[in-house]
Amino acid sequence: MLGIRDVTIVTMQNGTMTKGDVLLADGRIKAYGEAVDLAGCERIIEGRGRVLTPGLIDAHTHLGLSESGVGREGTDTNESTHPLTPYLSVRDGINMQDQAFESFRRAGITTVGILPGSGNILGGTGLALKCRGDIVDDVVLKDPIGMKAALGENPKGLYGERKQSPATRMGNAALLRSALLRAKDYLNKGEDHPRDPQSEALIPVLKREIPLIIHVHRHDDITTAIRIANEFGVKCHLAHVTDGYMVTDVLKRGGVYCGVGPTMHYPSKVENKERDFRTAVVLDRENIPFCLFTDHPVVDGRNLVLTASIATQWGLSDESALAAITVWAARYLGVENRVGSIAVDMDADLVLWSGNPLELTTFVDMTIIDGEIVYQRGMQPC
Amino acid sequence: MLVVKGAKIYPVLGTTLERGMMIINDQGRIHAIGENLPVENGDRVLDVTGKVIIPGLIDAHSHVGMWGDGEGRPGYDGNESVRPITGEVRALDAVNPRQMSFAAAREGGITTVQIVPGSGNPIGGLGFACKTQGTVIDEMVVKHPTGLKGALGENPKRAHGHGQKQAPATRMATASMIREYFREARTYGEQKDKAREEGRPFRTDLNLESGLLVLRKEIPFRVHAHRHDDIVTAIRICEEFDIHYSIEHCTDGHLIADYLGKKGITAMVGPGLSAASKVETKDLSDENPAILARHGVDVCLMTDHPFLNCRYFLHYAAIAHKYGLPFEETLKSITINPARALGIEDRVGSLEVGKDADFLVLGGEPFSYKGAILQTYIEGQRVWEREVY
Repeated sequence: MLGIRDVTIVTMQNGTMTKGDVLLADGRIKAYGEAVDLAGCERIIEGRGRVLTPGLIDAHTHLGLSESGVGREGTDTNESTHPLTPYLSVRDGINMQDQAFESFRRAGITTVGILPGSGNILGGTGLALKCRGDIVDDVVLKDPIGMKAALGENPKGLYGERKQSPATRMGNAALLRSALLRAKDYLNKGEDHPRDPQSEALIPVLKREIPLIIHVHRHDDITTAIRIANEFGVKCHLAHVTDGYMVTDVLKRGGVYCGVGPTMHYPSKVENKERDFRTAVVLDRENIPFCLFTDHPVVDGRNLVLTASIATQWGLSDESALAAITVWAARYLGVENRVGSIAVDMDADLVLWSGNPLELTTFVDMTIIDGEIVYQRGMQPC
Repeated sequence: MLVVKGAKIYPVLGTTLERGMMIINDQGRIHAIGENLPVENGDRVLDVTGKVIIPGLIDAHSHVGMWGDGEGRPGYDGNESVRPITGEVRALDAVNPRQMSFAAAREGGITTVQIVPGSGNPIGGLGFACKTQGTVIDEMVVKHPTGLKGALGENPKRAHGHGQKQAPATRMATASMIREYFREARTYGEQKDKAREEGRPFRTDLNLESGLLVLRKEIPFRVHAHRHDDIVTAIRICEEFDIHYSIEHCTDGHLIADYLGKKGITAMVGPGLSAASKVETKDLSDENPAILARHGVDVCLMTDHPFLNCRYFLHYAAIAHKYGLPFEETLKSITINPARALGIEDRVGSLEVGKDADFLVLGGEPFSYKGAILQTYIEGQRVWEREVY
């Protein structure tokens, strides 16, 4: 058992309390509040009034797939040999020795969503992972979280350049539609037909067990994504949503959950020339559910909390900014029953901060995942 | 005259003014700065009580206007990497002042920027310094040229050796080509002098003219180097030719800070906040600026826009401060240090009488998240203001 004494607890669900204590056991939060009985703890961390938040969640990254400091040999993000590869799983491409894992822990990030790249119309399934350990299978939080899909410039650029389909946005949409249609027929035919790996992989999407997570920047791509999802009655999350502020009615009618990012990156393409914090601020005001993400390594994941800080400079409240990288990110990944807030029986994923987490000069003093201290400032990693 | 009053002013050179005032003349220069200055009838007044003023930021190394932000390929003019030695090219000829990246620079509080060619070539061309507001680049120039760009490490090897199967394919060849370039430029200079003495006509070689400017110490050689051994190679070559230089990026500087301190180098450090996108940047550290400064290196921060979006230059400085760069040093690293390194400190880099009235109005202390940039001024004109979304 691990105890944390005298901290300001930012629960993200149930307000903030000063002078609180937290008791952790078996990788879970056993109790928190005023004067929790910490007798029997093997170790007690003295908070001395510092701030304790849930571990941060970066809901959309390529951590371990696009490895840091390795170059080409460490890149396994896009299987850009065919535009339809829904049968791939990022689980088979993640290098847990990617040096970025340590920098994520140092930045207070305890859970990540990892997704395939956006070169393919259907790229494969993504998962949610704890940022610890050496064996990917030991630290999977949820797999799959959704099926990655992509619209806009990336697929049409990649394949169009080779004079293959898709070469236009029309081609993008047609490929997505026909893949879903084929899978629907496949599902309706039952067992009595040859196995089709593409359609097989899309069955959980059609059964609404997992969402499509659709890469969209431009407003019309957002609209197309929702149009196609509605045609097939599938669940849909959006990723990037750069132009989201222009089409809030569409987003509301679609009932979609938006992952917004990488907001700090420059406008690298025509389709993301509107990249800005405006969308996050407007979605918050319009009560459209969203989270902020880095798209690591497009923006390095260690800047996740900085992203939230900058969002406040554009008008997002401190509370919303923190929620966008904790509890709302957990909802985006469908893991909010385990992580993203401080409550009894939630996973013991916590960050102890030297001050206000949003202040630019505040340090992560300690990161805890599943009740274990995985990073402590001033201590070399073992 | 424009009177700015009520704010706490960090002039960078000189003492901090708790309730500072600035009087700006119609030429956009600072006429007076202090506390309780006399205001005359007819002066316009900008009351920024409770806010904080710092000088406009100087981004020591950037590619604004030449990388095609939001435009795709047609707007990209960063690297003339069809051959490895291009001393004749000038960033000045490729910069589009109406490119959206200039608006991003103003939003990021950058009022002066050094724009340099990319790092695909061992000898990349001439860079220059300009203000970030305007539509005609020649009217925005503060100084041209400010340096000759060179590059070591992975980029020239990738652009030429891997991409086109021509030299340089190794670090050895990159170094030897730079050496050969300066040898040629030296010979060229001698022949040019001789021709002048003898009154003979002489054919100008624009490629070697740039090298000659460096050899005659009129401009520095600005060498792109990330890995520690590339930095050491850069210094070795520059000492061989006895030229002025700065190290651009200096990513591994923290690994050899003692050596760099002894050499007393100037380093343009950045892009900050970035990912370790290459093998040669795998040891990047947020502590790099602090460690370098502690060892006596002259540190100028830079965005390398678009590699750090220049909107977030001040945030990069805040992180450098968080990781140990003292407050005053951090402010200097984005104002007066780059002004001096570029040789434009007579006009920009601090808020002093006679200098350009380039300044930022912040909502609070610099390097705090409450200290967002609210307004950017260049030569007394408001060029950017935070919008409420």
